Amino acid sequence: MAVLNGKLTRGDLNRVFARLLYVQATIHRRGMQNLGVLHALDAAAPRLSDQPATLLARHAEHFNTNPNAVPLVVGGVLRIEEEGDRGGPASITRFKQACASALAAAADVFFGGGLKPLALTLACVFAIYRFFPGLVAVLILYNAALISVRYRGLSFGYARGWGLIDSFTSPRVQRALVLIRMGAALAGGLLAGVICASANRQGTVVFVPTLIIAVVAWFAVRRGFSASRLALALFPVAWLMAMILQ
Amino acid sequence: MHDALIIAIIAAVLALDDRAGWGSLLAEPVFSGTLVGLATGETAAGMSVGLVLQLVWLSIGAARGSRRPNVVVGGVVAAGVMCLGVREGADEARLAACAVFLGLVAGEAGNWTSAVTGRWRERWIEGFKLPADAAAASRRLLAYSAGSALYVGLVDGIVVLVGVPAAQRAAALLTGRLGDGARGVELWSLALPGLALAVMAHAFATRNLFRFGLVGVLLAVVVTWLF
Repeated sequence: MAVLNGKLTRGDLNRVFARLLYVQATIHRRGMQNLGVLHALDAAAPRLSDQPATLLARHAEHFNTNPNAVPLVVGGVLRIEEEGDRGGPASITRFKQACASALAAAADVFFGGGLKPLALTLACVFAIYRFFPGLVAVLILYNAALISVRYRGLSFGYARGWGLIDSFTSPRVQRALVLIRMGAALAGGLLAGVICASANRQGTVVFVPTLIIAVVAWFAVRRGFSASRLALALFPVAWLMAMILQ
Repeated sequence: MHDALIIAIIAAVLALDDRAGWGSLLAEPVFSGTLVGLATGETAAGMSVGLVLQLVWLSIGAARGSRRPNVVVGGVVAAGVMCLGVREGADEARLAACAVFLGLVAGEAGNWTSAVTGRWRERWIEGFKLPADAAAASRRLLAYSAGSALYVGLVDGIVVLVGVPAAQRAAALLTGRLGDGARGVELWSLALPGLALAVMAHAFATRNLFRFGLVGVLLAVVVTWLF
């Protein structure tokens, strides 16, 4: 964990962190996460400035990124504010915009496209085998990863300040994104294999229709149909078929 | 009514976590179903319904830009119908298919309700003015954060409180009083694994990821064949 060498203590950062856990609470279309960020900054503002309300007013503009990346940006903002917004190549608003857009894309891929599907597919595999401790383990590990990324992100951002922007271009970030996506794909394949094996055990009468439905549904989902609505649409079809078969 | 109230409180807490908190995964159907099962004493039943809903909803992530159904309302209503029905001695296979169907409907209805009630919340939040005084600013920010989070939880809690008894009646109608047509519910449930496979293939549809998915499939097939 990054060593703190500024005005803020570990306790101050902990307070900011606790508020950042609920950054999505006040999300809205016009300002997106701006009130959540303001609420978090408010926990440290009196330590950083003699006029905390003025400091907050500087950050009331629109702000939007992946919620898991917000602590990183807020950490950087705290450092820049502590240094009096001096020595940077641009304004603090520009810093926030640059960080927010770069991190939104990376964090969406990492969390939304990698870590979350990985955790959920593993949870599904455990649920298929009714392995309750496995479900609990997935929940604990996922939350430990999520919370530690957020907490370390806040400390890292606070340690780096303007230097935060350089860290996005690191090849390690790209490698982590590729690895997590591959892990999720492997888990997805595992789940698909378990479903196929389970359908196969029930005989050809179940296995073949399952594969046919999978192919047809895949084309539909690729064309933009929601899987949920597709399932709903299949309901009256199945009902009708049952009536005809009777 | 007592059970429905407990289930609604669970939904409210899960909605807080999912849409106002850090998204701990508890709100995902595979976990919320298990949680409702634990609360009603029918863990296996809740988990199985949550699992099927999870498989259907797995591909619809925020990163893909599509709007998800309300997974909290859908998952909790489905698990509620299943667990309470099993406790009353209903036919499990038929009830499970009904519960999944009603969960999907509840997810869409919950999504619509969230969108409508969300507009009122948006209007309230957009009226926020930052006071010039630091103490007043702190108080107002806290009030808006807490108020908005509680509102989200309350709305989903109320939807589930109304939704569970309504879905129970619908399940009774589908399973018991429609005669041979109820066979259609079971037939429909056979289509869901196929849908889950399609969802999985779509989620990892790039060539590179597909290779890893294929390795996973082979691994699962070999392991299930061996054991």
